Amino acid sequence: MSHPIGGGSFFSECVIFNARSFDLTLSQGRKMATVDHASENRGQPQRQLTQARAITRFKWLTLSPIVAIFVVVLVPALFLQLYFSFFGWTVYLGSWWEAEFVGLELFEEVLTDERLGWSIVRSLYFSIGSTIGCFIIGFGLALLMYKPFRGNGLYYIMFIIPMLTVPIVVAYTGEMLLYQKGPVNGILSWILGRDINVIWLADADLALTTVMMLEIWNWTPFSFIIMMAGLASLPKEPQEAAQILGAGKLRIFWEVQLPLLRPVIILALILRFLEAMAEYPKIWSLFQGGPGSASETIPVLIYLTTWNYFEISKGAAMSYVVMLLMIAIVLAAIWVLRREKSSLDKMYN
Amino acid sequence: MSRIELKSLRKEFGSTVAVKSLDLQIEDGEFLVLVGPSGCGKTTTLRMLAGFEDPSDGEITMNGSIVNDLEPRDRDIGMVFQSHALFPHKYIYDNIEFGLRMKNVPEAERRKAVEDVAEMVHITPLLNKRPAQCSGGESQRVALARTLVTHPSTFLLDEPLSSLDAKLRRELRAEVDRLHTELKKTFIYVTHDQEEAMTLADRIVVMNEGEIEQEGSPMEIYSNPKSYFVADFFGSPSMNLLDGEVISKEGKAVFQHGQMEISVPDTYANLGSGKVTLGIRPEHVVVSTADGQIPETIDLVEPMGKDTLLYFEAEGERPFVVIVEGLILDDYKSGQQVQLTFPDDKVYFFDEAGQRIR
Amino acid sequence: MNKRTKKRIFESFRYSTLTIWLLIVAFPLFWIVSTSFKPDAEWFAWPPVYWSETPTLANYANVWTGKEEYADTQYIQSMQKPWVALGNSTLIAFISTTLAVFFGSLIAYGVSRYQMLSEARMFQLLMLRMVPPIVIVAPLSLHYSTLKLLDTHLGLILVYFLTTLPYAVWMTKSFIDEVPVEVEQAAEILGASKLRTIWEVVLPLVRSGLVATFLFILILTWSEYLLALILSKTEVVTLPIELSKYEGSTEGRVYGRQAALAVGITIPLIIIGLFISKHLARGFSFGMVRK
Repeated sequence: MSHPIGGGSFFSECVIFNARSFDLTLSQGRKMATVDHASENRGQPQRQLTQARAITRFKWLTLSPIVAIFVVVLVPALFLQLYFSFFGWTVYLGSWWEAEFVGLELFEEVLTDERLGWSIVRSLYFSIGSTIGCFIIGFGLALLMYKPFRGNGLYYIMFIIPMLTVPIVVAYTGEMLLYQKGPVNGILSWILGRDINVIWLADADLALTTVMMLEIWNWTPFSFIIMMAGLASLPKEPQEAAQILGAGKLRIFWEVQLPLLRPVIILALILRFLEAMAEYPKIWSLFQGGPGSASETIPVLIYLTTWNYFEISKGAAMSYVVMLLMIAIVLAAIWVLRREKSSLDKMYN
Repeated sequence: MSRIELKSLRKEFGSTVAVKSLDLQIEDGEFLVLVGPSGCGKTTTLRMLAGFEDPSDGEITMNGSIVNDLEPRDRDIGMVFQSHALFPHKYIYDNIEFGLRMKNVPEAERRKAVEDVAEMVHITPLLNKRPAQCSGGESQRVALARTLVTHPSTFLLDEPLSSLDAKLRRELRAEVDRLHTELKKTFIYVTHDQEEAMTLADRIVVMNEGEIEQEGSPMEIYSNPKSYFVADFFGSPSMNLLDGEVISKEGKAVFQHGQMEISVPDTYANLGSGKVTLGIRPEHVVVSTADGQIPETIDLVEPMGKDTLLYFEAEGERPFVVIVEGLILDDYKSGQQVQLTFPDDKVYFFDEAGQRIR
Repeated sequence: MNKRTKKRIFESFRYSTLTIWLLIVAFPLFWIVSTSFKPDAEWFAWPPVYWSETPTLANYANVWTGKEEYADTQYIQSMQKPWVALGNSTLIAFISTTLAVFFGSLIAYGVSRYQMLSEARMFQLLMLRMVPPIVIVAPLSLHYSTLKLLDTHLGLILVYFLTTLPYAVWMTKSFIDEVPVEVEQAAEILGASKLRTIWEVVLPLVRSGLVATFLFILILTWSEYLLALILSKTEVVTLPIELSKYEGSTEGRVYGRQAALAVGITIPLIIIGLFISKHLARGFSFGMVRK
């Protein structure tokens, strides 16, 4: 017990620590003024304490339902997932709780599974492609629209509608429009003046791109709205100053607007990318992963493994691998977002 | 050289008319101040000069050629904004250098120019900082430097000092004045602060509701206001304006305001009778404990140090104010009866439409 | 080239580009509506029928009443229950959205005013939304069956609540941040209690923001597919799942019926969206813009 401060100070250290953490909560928080009819000075520590306690109580009151659902619903499911990924079980093998322990066998199988590898590649292709598509179109439209002009209200409302359309409806509408003798090929033929016969819905090379198009149609409004908000919030004077100092539209865009918009751009890209990684209804209802395995993205593969092949354990191991991968991606995204936010805070304060 | 002319310039935003029909000539090297209350069209006028707003009608001429259709960057102007408008993501150095880069000035020359101008407005230590690390006054100096470095022939300044505190404002006001004397360029300066206008301008243009109310040298504007509006706008504390009536009493014209009666000076023989407003500046009223025209009771005494303000109750919203020189608290106390005299040559009359009667 | 010509060129470029995208956006919507009025012979016709010359309400009648006599074709889907699905969707979406916005805005208030959660925690909260639900849904369905939550309203409400909460917190926070603390302090100095301050001062100022958040989350839950598919596909069927049932029939695709149902699902959302379009933008910036 040769602690430099001495063994007896453990308790006092706790007290100091506690006092500090109270202090921190309060000095970080924007203090609310409260009416105190008694002497301000003598009442202060007592009040700070009660206030800190009130904040803690409020915190747990509001967070407890979330924590409760998390613990009751999600955590057991995560443990079940863990159990299945170490105990080999399929629906044909009796009761699930009597499954046989297989150690890391399933993980080995999953990690060496080329099919999973390809599905990850497809998911990334699909997500990156649709994210970039949404962003370029959304940002382009926002750049054309952020300054008021005649009719902007109508365009704005119309451009938002795809986001309000249920994804499964988008999928079926896509199907109605894109079959080989359907209206899209019809219109393309009319525009280009020759017979267009794109096999949108049955060509293995095209399947994922078809869904990507629908995804872009569906979610461009999201990028559009974020970029509109970003452009509208840019301070106008620096742009005018640049204009007077001799910068053309393009220069102002590159040197003033774009750097100031960077945090919003990154936000738009990240949110859209992550949502696209989870896309399921369109791919599933149009292709079920086919033709062949041409549209087998991560969600589709896990679904097929679990509910079509009933290989519950393999699906579980796969899910764990994907979950860790996604958590890594999300953590990286969060790191980037926080860095952007702090640089933004620094820039304006 | 930049002789600027505005010919029947008009600007509408939808159904509101910001600038009605403006005619103005600005001489080379002049320090012109556009002044008026908010919403009077002064900023819109400046923004049309800069090229940010297209006039709805009329012409802007610089050096004899019409510039209505020219981009801001082709007009050979510099502008300083109220909010300093620095690029928040660029270092101060890069902020100042920006305009030179746009003009494709070679690197070495740019560096020299930036350092020189930084020296000139005393911001050399700031060059490696970001705008967020600068105080309000420093930011505005940087904004000045960024404009100066490109050597425009005309400077447009849009309320550059109004977001600063009083002390800094005075300091930078002197700086602007110094720069104008040094550079001998045309300065067009917009403000709502009459004091700034008085101290800086060669010529003041007073605007109200989209029109020019009066233009002239600061002295002219102050001592010879054309209208009630101008009289009221300039001076601090502002001119005492008493609504009343001219009546004929024993063959002489007398101005009557409540209980107060003042005989109208002979020079205003053509005043006739009817409702008028009498104006007199606080510093022109003569106060005496012995004799004078009007007996009044002091309501409140406000010692200002160099001067003392005396307040009297008056009909209407504002009290009647008199400035007496020095700190003479013993002579004047609240509740004390004094005699006021309005010297004949210091009294103004305005008709019901607000126009000066001469 | 002078300023005016440039402007004119830009204007025409702007309008033509926007109009092209407008057509791309509008055409599929037009097609759903148009198909919903087509008799079955025109569903797959070549050349495509853009607007039926003999429009019919049979699709709507068949889908929404489920009665066979309205079906003028062999494709009879009368066993479906779109009204029940509509009821389920409405119930689930409204309850889970209300919960998410209620708790979300309280948390957001705590974070905005007292830094109740650190910035790191706030970002971690996003994980609830950002990790795809597919990775957990299989064991969840097993777990749900032991909890007797499978195929129940409550089961879906709980997961929807949890997965939309991050958006609720982040969006409402950006609205609450805009309310100056001084306004609240002023109310409290004047003698209002904390609760009263929130009720009378903060709430009216963020109301439009809360409405926008509510409707955005409603849209998300209303259209959710995967969780609904796995956690409740037989008893408590929601509208997206209901719609997907029209596809599995062996007779082929029943486009007209699908379209009639799709119109019914989509129109309420579009109406809602038109109301919130102005407010949506503010809530989406996640603190990444400066006012």
